[in-house]
Amino acid sequence: MPNVIDIELFKADQQALDDFLQSWIGHKMNMGGTQIAPDPVNMPMIRHWIDAFADRNPVYEDAGFAEKTRFRGRIAPPAMMQAWIMPRPILEGIGERGGSGQPLNPDMPLGVLDRVGFTGILATNSELEFDRPLREGDLLHTDIFLESVSPRKKTGLGQGYFVTWITEFMDQDNQAVGRQSFRVLKFDPSTIGQ
Amino acid sequence: MINNFADLSRQSLNPAGIAVGDTVTPMDIKLTHTIITATALASMDFMPVHHDKDYALAQFAPDIFLNILSSNGFVSKFLTDWAGPNAWVKKINIKLGVPAVPHQVLKFTGEVLSKNTVDNECHIEVSVQAANDSGNHAIGTALITLPL
Repeated sequence: MPNVIDIELFKADQQALDDFLQSWIGHKMNMGGTQIAPDPVNMPMIRHWIDAFADRNPVYEDAGFAEKTRFRGRIAPPAMMQAWIMPRPILEGIGERGGSGQPLNPDMPLGVLDRVGFTGILATNSELEFDRPLREGDLLHTDIFLESVSPRKKTGLGQGYFVTWITEFMDQDNQAVGRQSFRVLKFDPSTIGQ
Repeated sequence: MINNFADLSRQSLNPAGIAVGDTVTPMDIKLTHTIITATALASMDFMPVHHDKDYALAQFAPDIFLNILSSNGFVSKFLTDWAGPNAWVKKINIKLGVPAVPHQVLKFTGEVLSKNTVDNECHIEVSVQAANDSGNHAIGTALITLPL
């Protein structure tokens, strides 16, 4: 089980904070999103995407063309995988929440880092893997696991931790369809130059 | 078909004709506020830094900027515009750099790093770089497959 949260202790004792963060490694965490896709893979959202990107690849739209490719039918753009599981946003107060569409869980590692003073966030790495094409009707869900937290580092933005989590994407039959490893720097802006 | 946006003239690359060192056809995206906003919302990302300039400036950003989902979306387009409709994008690994902001051209370049046969497919690893006037926005590698 992850260690008990004691924000005042974590502010005063770096080792206690580090131990707390390490106690979360491998645990399932919810980054603020629901874990089930609001909608199955569907053509209106695909059309919205391909128009926004001006992606004219015919396998996303033209059923007759797609039938004659290796895919034997239309598929969703692979990079949409994350879009399918994005939670429905609560727009009211989104700016005050730092842009998060959903309330952050204050007891998860990122929430705790916020409360200890590491309020800044900067994405540094994304690794996406797609196991199979998604098609209309596929309904995704995700599990998110904390993979690693670096030692506290001095960076150009202040002191901080590199936090990496893995999102596993699964379909309606609970089969894996892909995964993303995502790394962010959680930094304390008040420590810039220290 | 009037409403069909797809380019039905697309051809796929023949794996036999691909060699290490080949250039991926470059892609220039002239980013605008509209494109950055439209791609963020198409990816269901409502963070204000991707559509609200006042908010972005208050966060010390130079302007609104492209969200990461869309960086990956453009990488996917870059790869399949080159390799064709039979290409399956299997992996995209990027390190993120400077923000991609309006009024700058985001230039995608890359080249073939390796080519292998795996399970009756051709696996092609390519380098990917997306850069603007300020530097690298994203740099990394991608893996696509083509049927043999």
